Amino acid sequence: MTLVAHESLRATRPGPTSAFAELDDSHVVQAFLDGRSRAFDELVARYQARLLNFIYRTIGDRERAEDLVQEVFIRIYRHLHRFDQTKKFSTWAYTIASNLAKNELRNRSRNPLVLFQAIKKNWDADHRPLQFEDSSTRPDDMYRKRHLRALVEQSVEQLPEHHRVVFVLRELEGKTYEEIAEITRCNLGTVKSRLNRARNSFASIIAPHLD
Amino acid sequence: MDCCEFREHYSDFADGLLDDEGELRARRHLSLCAPCRRFDAAFRTGVSALRDLPSVQPSRSFGDRLRRRLGHELVVRALAVDPISGAVAAMLVMVTIGLVTWDLAELHATRRVASTVAVGAPPPAVRIPAPVQIRLDTEQIFRGGFHPFDPVLFVADTFPIQDTNPPRLDVPAVWGGR
Repeated sequence: MTLVAHESLRATRPGPTSAFAELDDSHVVQAFLDGRSRAFDELVARYQARLLNFIYRTIGDRERAEDLVQEVFIRIYRHLHRFDQTKKFSTWAYTIASNLAKNELRNRSRNPLVLFQAIKKNWDADHRPLQFEDSSTRPDDMYRKRHLRALVEQSVEQLPEHHRVVFVLRELEGKTYEEIAEITRCNLGTVKSRLNRARNSFASIIAPHLD
Repeated sequence: MDCCEFREHYSDFADGLLDDEGELRARRHLSLCAPCRRFDAAFRTGVSALRDLPSVQPSRSFGDRLRRRLGHELVVRALAVDPISGAVAAMLVMVTIGLVTWDLAELHATRRVASTVAVGAPPPAVRIPAPVQIRLDTEQIFRGGFHPFDPVLFVADTFPIQDTNPPRLDVPAVWGGR
């Protein structure tokens, strides 16, 4: 890896980039390790939105989620030469993201500012102007839909940290039990148990609101 | 199957991972138990709404910020990986610090000498024609015919200055060039 890599980063843009778009992750990683620094741009383009959504749904803070995604890429860049290429790159990236998200939640739980942010967020949600996305939909349907969205977001936030990570990885990211076990460094039984508890809690939280 | 057993295996049921017999028992319970039916409906509706949530996209500044951070990472790595570059950089830093320290020490010494050594000087013969006192010739203004800022209207009066306290000049013994 040389200083040339810095120049290539100037071309970082969302979306697939040129020559590497056709390659799978392992080949892109190998290209980067072989000194083709633009391959890193491709990894960023492929994973920035996915990791952002994962972290955002886990911690519930958009701006902080973006900071953490940056940190994920920095760590990937720093340690890619140590990455075991027999494993899936996406699992490794999600593992880093998951650890950062969990650390964030732990740090937050010790911070009194969190209470204020939670109150502010609820206030913002209550006072957000009604958005008429679809004029063909009836206002009461739109209200119900918006209410449901807010409800499911709050329900996810109410899940305990280790349940939430597993739940988001399964329901939103569509990861298999094995991948979740690898990402969270838990055994399969723990993943199944946590997921079942998370699903039960999620359903129990929203069921009374849907009647 | 009762409600407890149903919820205990709910995750497998939702993922379709129960064996045939388990699946059959769960479905039979579901058809008979309204609370579990409501529970199942709530879960599926909730997950569906969750998946329909709009996807968030990185902000416009995301790429620039990441680029800056990776650029910094590269510099740090270059210094860490290449010992020659690292040594040269370290030497440069040390030389710079040394030069600055030496320069500051010299400046400090010069100031100390300047403040302690006083050389008496003969009292200078002060002959200063100024200050002048400007007197406005208002009579001419009232008579008219002059521009208000015409220099002719201003008459300078000089007066002697009594030099009662001649200044004492302090000159450093060694002139440091500052």
